[in-house]
Amino acid sequence: MRSIPAGLEALAFALACAGALTLAAPLGCTRPLPGPQPAGEQGANPRRGGTLRLASGLDIRNLDPAGPTDGLAMQALLLMFDGLVDFDREGRVIPNLADSWEIGDDGRTYRFHLRPGVRMHDGAELTADDVKRSVERALHPTTPSPTASFFEGIVGYADYASGIAAHLPGVAAEGRYGVTFRLTQTDGAFLALLALPSMRPVCASGGERYLDSWTPCGAGPFKLDAAGWQRGTSLRVIRHDAYFQAGLPHLDAVEWTFNTGALPQRFRFEDGDLDLLLNPTQADVGRFAADPRWEGLHATLADNTSWGEAMNNRMAPFDNVEVRRAVAAAVDRSVLPLINRVNISPLTQLLPRGVPGYDPSFEGQRYDPAAALEHMRRAGYPYDPATGRGGWPRPIVYTVTDPSFESFWAQVLAQQLSRIGLRLQLRLVTLPAFYALTQRQGASAMHPQGNQADYADPSAFFDLLFTSSAITAEGTSNTARYSNPRYDEVVARARHSLDAGLRRALYHEADAILCDDAPWAFTHGQHDYVMRQPYVRGFEPHPIWPLDVRGVWLDRPGAAVPAASAGLR
Amino acid sequence: MRWLLRRAAWSLFVVWAVVSLAFAVDNLLPGDPARMVAGAQARPADVARIRVQLGLDRPPLVQYALFWRRLVHVGPRDGASGPGHTTCAAIVPLGERALHVDLGKSYQRRQAVVDLVAARLPRTIALALAGLLLQLVFGVTTGVLAASRRGTWLDRALVGSSLLGVSAPTFLIALLLQFTFARVLRWLPLDGFGTTFSEHALGLVLPALTLGIYGAAYYTRLVRDEMALLLSQDWVRTARAKGVSPGGVLVRHALRNALVPILTSAGLDLGALLGGAIVTETVFRWPGIGSLAVSATLNRDGPIILACVIVSAVAVTGSNLVVDALHVRLDPRMRAAG
Repeated sequence: MRSIPAGLEALAFALACAGALTLAAPLGCTRPLPGPQPAGEQGANPRRGGTLRLASGLDIRNLDPAGPTDGLAMQALLLMFDGLVDFDREGRVIPNLADSWEIGDDGRTYRFHLRPGVRMHDGAELTADDVKRSVERALHPTTPSPTASFFEGIVGYADYASGIAAHLPGVAAEGRYGVTFRLTQTDGAFLALLALPSMRPVCASGGERYLDSWTPCGAGPFKLDAAGWQRGTSLRVIRHDAYFQAGLPHLDAVEWTFNTGALPQRFRFEDGDLDLLLNPTQADVGRFAADPRWEGLHATLADNTSWGEAMNNRMAPFDNVEVRRAVAAAVDRSVLPLINRVNISPLTQLLPRGVPGYDPSFEGQRYDPAAALEHMRRAGYPYDPATGRGGWPRPIVYTVTDPSFESFWAQVLAQQLSRIGLRLQLRLVTLPAFYALTQRQGASAMHPQGNQADYADPSAFFDLLFTSSAITAEGTSNTARYSNPRYDEVVARARHSLDAGLRRALYHEADAILCDDAPWAFTHGQHDYVMRQPYVRGFEPHPIWPLDVRGVWLDRPGAAVPAASAGLR
Repeated sequence: MRWLLRRAAWSLFVVWAVVSLAFAVDNLLPGDPARMVAGAQARPADVARIRVQLGLDRPPLVQYALFWRRLVHVGPRDGASGPGHTTCAAIVPLGERALHVDLGKSYQRRQAVVDLVAARLPRTIALALAGLLLQLVFGVTTGVLAASRRGTWLDRALVGSSLLGVSAPTFLIALLLQFTFARVLRWLPLDGFGTTFSEHALGLVLPALTLGIYGAAYYTRLVRDEMALLLSQDWVRTARAKGVSPGGVLVRHALRNALVPILTSAGLDLGALLGGAIVTETVFRWPGIGSLAVSATLNRDGPIILACVIVSAVAVTGSNLVVDALHVRLDPRMRAAG
């Protein structure tokens, strides 16, 4: 046997490497971006038919509106279940399954009138008894509802939730189409709360009590297809032909594929195998944005999440309001879009842009380095940026999940705060550990906190995050441990007022208190981002709900029948 | 036989120890599974109610005892029927009754874990067997080829390629295969399990190929080195001198004697693959045990975590047991040693 020279061996190795790199090269950079798929000429006239195909990197764990839910499940629940009320495109509460309601003189009694003839997915007509049964089912102590306590204001809730009472006396069926809710005190957020998925009527098959084995069935525009939910894989819902809104829905079906990575999603979307692409990577957004063929085919969705830097008011140095004010003034929010320009928009007040009550004219917390240094001086920790002397003498542990946008931002934040004499020490943890540390007293001095509107009312932010009553030893949502009697009073008045103008003024006052007391340095709002193929028509981002495709129709060239000629009701 | 029983008992002890360790770690880690179910914004009252529903309000030692008491017990013959048995599966009939396995209910998915595992384990087994088969086919073929052409350019090219294969992480191999065979050539699906048998089979090809390429590199080197050693032995020279063909020397004499280390490695690999090829399953959206374990760990879904640990521990100890038994059959010296 003859041995080959060492030089040739090196050459063979180099060739093998070159082959691998040649294979790998097209993966990232050399393939041109395909253009959008062609659309038909139907324009603004809705067509009936077709299946809308979506994908997600996540999975749906539950399709019962009374059970635990998440952003992805919400997309499906909105299609399968309708509520007594809903939100319009301006975020206002509007009639839905109930065509009207009256509020009693005491402000604590809501009488709803159901639309006659509303058909559930099982063909039965929706009645007042269905509503009462569904509400009791959702609020029963054996139901794993994460929002049941939102309804503690219903008369008899405490006894019902603790298992003492068999029924909820505060909800009563009156005749076939009348439902009355009685509250212990007036609640300006009650109508918005009623739009929550957990309050949406379910079919008689849902029974009196929550059961994991139940097959979802409601009164929404789509119903679950037979064997339509392949757990961990896909979900398919089909049109509910007897839906009460004439002419809707336009689509035959909506399909989701779960657990799909960002790259396969992009491949599928470019090839026309997906109709919408939700939250593409920043690099992909850049490629689409740079291509004029894709112009006008992208949108931002509901901006209903606000984020801030929570500072523990019971831990030094944030027990000193001047230090908190210094942080609020030292944060330069304008750099946030440099880290993520797809899903992030700078925010200087508590409410995100999509939630009723957001005031664009309110300046909120302002970036002012000089003022930040002055606040540090007033706090007793003067800092000289020229010499780097002074400031808070010890490092501040900043708890953050990793990997996440927040862990990237934390590095920028640490640089910004170092300019006023505050040194952050980043503690990167998993999500379960993050909750455990930040929601326990004394375990985290500073951390990012976000809050998504559970319901479209300012109270979903003001009550939950900053009232004294929200402070608990474990599991608190007021992770800043902020307590201000004046704030509590203003927020309570706003919650219990039914006067929209007065509520707006009170929440504005509460926002001003927060911006000054600075339990959080407000940083940014967060929203989803979606690309669509041009044949996806009628897609309008909803101000409250995530990816809302209830009004969508498909306009493929020569594909489906115009809705006007399809004999729709 | 006594030896086999001793090994089986030892395997059971290992499974118990690993699962107990996993239980302890799951309970000691910071984080509240009820919070993970309820979500970040749920109020403490709602989280507390869910905690009670999940049985997490009990002391950890009580939960531990209940877990073992429930894991294997005797119940109704038809499995998941009757109160207290809704999360069970009957595995061995015992007259009117049956031996049950109960892995509890998933906190997040709210399904009997035994059903989840029963649905996903066959997919993981299929992927593990297909991946291991490809590893062995590629690895043994190239290893034998390299050993038979030792010192030539072919030997060096194969060994060099195996270095590339073993150095490339599975996700890179997976992405390359996805791009080439699904995106450009469109011969195979990009990912997913599908709904029909043919879709399952087509969906299996790329993940199995990923595991095959990644693991084959190791077997190439193992077989090549082992064969090279054996081919230099006196008895091989004797066989050649007696006129045995080169192929016969290679296969009947050298490869047969190299089977013991190959089998040992393959057994260990199979055990590990049965525990879930986490990256490969995740990239290809293959709904097996590996991807289930990942999501359970991220969500602190204790019952699923423990079930995946049990599957993994049983797979590793079981495959070791089988390998040990096969050693006895393959190696006369071990038989002689008793």
